[in-house]
Amino acid sequence: MKPAPTRKKVAPKNQGDAWGLVYVSPFFIIFGIFGLIPILFTVYVAFFHWEPLGDHNYVGWLNFQNLLTDHYFYLAIRNTFSIFAISFIPQTILAMMLASFLANPHLKGKIFWRTILLVPWVTSTLSVAIIFSELFGRNFGMVNVALQYLGITNIDWVGQTIPSHIAIATMINYKWLGYNTLIYLASMLAIPRDLYESASLDGASKWQQFIFITIPQLKNTITFMLIVGTIGGLQTFIEPLTYGGIQGGDSRQFSTLGLYLYEQILVNNKLGYAAAIGVGITLITIVIATINFFISRRIAGDGENA
Amino acid sequence: MKNKAIKRLGIIGVATSVLLTGALATGSRAATPVQLSIWTFGNVIDPLLTAQYTKLHPEITFQSKKSDLDASASSLRYALPSSAVPDIAAVEISYMGEFRNYSNYLTDLKTLTPSSDTMKDDYLGWRWNYMIADNGATLGIPTDVGGLAVAYRTDLFKKAGLPTDRAKVSALWPTWSDYIATGKKYMTATKGKSAFIDIPQTIYTAVINQGNEKYYGGDGKSLIYSTNPNVKAAFNYTAQASQAKIGTNVAQYSPDWNVGMNKGLFATILAPAWMLQYIKQYAPKTKGLWDVASIPGGAGNQGGSALTIPKNASHKQEAWDFIRWYLGAEQQKYEFVHNSIFPTITSLYDDPAIKDLKDPFFSNAPVGQIYSESARAVKPFVIGKKDRIIDSTFGQALSRIQLGKQIATAAWAQAVNDINRAIN
Repeated sequence: MKPAPTRKKVAPKNQGDAWGLVYVSPFFIIFGIFGLIPILFTVYVAFFHWEPLGDHNYVGWLNFQNLLTDHYFYLAIRNTFSIFAISFIPQTILAMMLASFLANPHLKGKIFWRTILLVPWVTSTLSVAIIFSELFGRNFGMVNVALQYLGITNIDWVGQTIPSHIAIATMINYKWLGYNTLIYLASMLAIPRDLYESASLDGASKWQQFIFITIPQLKNTITFMLIVGTIGGLQTFIEPLTYGGIQGGDSRQFSTLGLYLYEQILVNNKLGYAAAIGVGITLITIVIATINFFISRRIAGDGENA
Repeated sequence: MKNKAIKRLGIIGVATSVLLTGALATGSRAATPVQLSIWTFGNVIDPLLTAQYTKLHPEITFQSKKSDLDASASSLRYALPSSAVPDIAAVEISYMGEFRNYSNYLTDLKTLTPSSDTMKDDYLGWRWNYMIADNGATLGIPTDVGGLAVAYRTDLFKKAGLPTDRAKVSALWPTWSDYIATGKKYMTATKGKSAFIDIPQTIYTAVINQGNEKYYGGDGKSLIYSTNPNVKAAFNYTAQASQAKIGTNVAQYSPDWNVGMNKGLFATILAPAWMLQYIKQYAPKTKGLWDVASIPGGAGNQGGSALTIPKNASHKQEAWDFIRWYLGAEQQKYEFVHNSIFPTITSLYDDPAIKDLKDPFFSNAPVGQIYSESARAVKPFVIGKKDRIIDSTFGQALSRIQLGKQIATAAWAQAVNDINRAIN
């Protein structure tokens, strides 16, 4: 009797691929439901005049046309980038300096310093915003009281454009400085010690070592922080909202993109226009991420050649 | 073996059902515990009253959420289509023009037991009408009415050489021009050490609420905000007050306002009834230094709210029972005496507890009389869907004038432009 023909066994490699898909599918299913579908729906809503409890009228490209001619939208872009620049640049410098201070192997109480850095980061953004709003109050805020001792009188931290950006940037820096410092610290600790040793042997000062060894070695980290920071910066909205209300000040001096979108939803009940702004923010983010990508490719390219 | 198991299961089954029926029977003899959720703002619904209601009806407990005015309206608006709605939601007067359109999401109080129609005549007619939908449904029942008066500091007026007796003070300013003129006199007399009014922008709100019409025409749909002469007058009076520098730059309800009140940095605050309670809460140490005079320009109303029951609420009848209790005479008197929340039930205006009420914090001013006269004399106007947005946009324009960032004509033009863009 002939033996029954054996079934051709599936090759282990294909089986592995199939299982791989199963293992990553939960993320994609959840992202699909809670991420992708809402994004697509937002783009859909952007083509409507959409009231929350009222009419939904199709208007085609009207929201986008209005957006492109809306000088408040451009004002929000300007404010968002201004706040981002004022927060990111000093924060990066401070974080790197703090990190190099903490990277010192002879530092006492390392664990204490590293823990205390994270305390602002775990504080809720809203609490930070409320407290700093009081500190920057025009007449009785502590910042102005302290500045009076230096002879500087009543800066209007809410009413003037740049002071308001500085105040909001301070809130952002307070929250994120510790976190950034730890990231730079981690990268710094990965820099090989012998680079510093041979530099000391060659007579380089601590400051020269910082400029010519530490910073170039941190280029990838800086690029990463720039991308992450930009994306976060484009979404800034809790700080200005708590600071001065939903319009971003009486002249919209600190109305950011996130806040402008939020205003369309809560004040104007124009969900279609808000969706169009959301699409606008996404496009801006994509443009910036692309620029960042090309810059970092160039930097990485340099790194390989070095 | 099998039979034994079945027998055992049978016994357990019978025992369980007996216990369950027993439990359910006991449950229905005592009332089922109900927790009513309330979403409110400001000082609407004093927690002491909900505690008292629980003492009377132990099965009813309350969970209150209090937000800022605009936040409470937006969170209610977005919650209404869902099941995550409160049993009772307070709607402020500036939002009534919007929320009266939501007959799909708010219960028609006429359909409850007893019907709201049975109480309609007890209330100020013009307040009752604000929450009537186009299809005739009664979507909310009024709680309080603001009225308008002027709270002033007798000590600061004395220092500036102004009279302190409230009749004499009321005679200082029959019109808003007189009010501003008094303000200029005050500023000269005090050499700018304190301001006459806390925030000039409040003049706009007062004048707006004194007119025959506001932002919408009689049909409730046509927009007249840029042509209504009273709107222009309100805007211009406020701009004049700013230009005369009789006010400060603090924001109302801000920490700076709080400190300013305590330090005597402003001599007058335009005061609907509920504002008196804010003064008491924020500046308790100034007790006895205040009095209340009549407002320039005639009767007006600022603020007030209505209570609604969302259609998706889980305990509509219990909510309605509480609301009717809350609107009872004793509770409304309590709210006025303790929270300066002035009732909309007109019979109460003749009740001695209200009519003769004098407030020692405000030099024994006859606040009951002052606000009942104010409430009765109000000329009702249409409140439309976008009232609040128009209010805020004009408010921002007036802030820009106050801060010296824009002159009045440019601020008006920008405001009209902004409103046009926001509501279309």
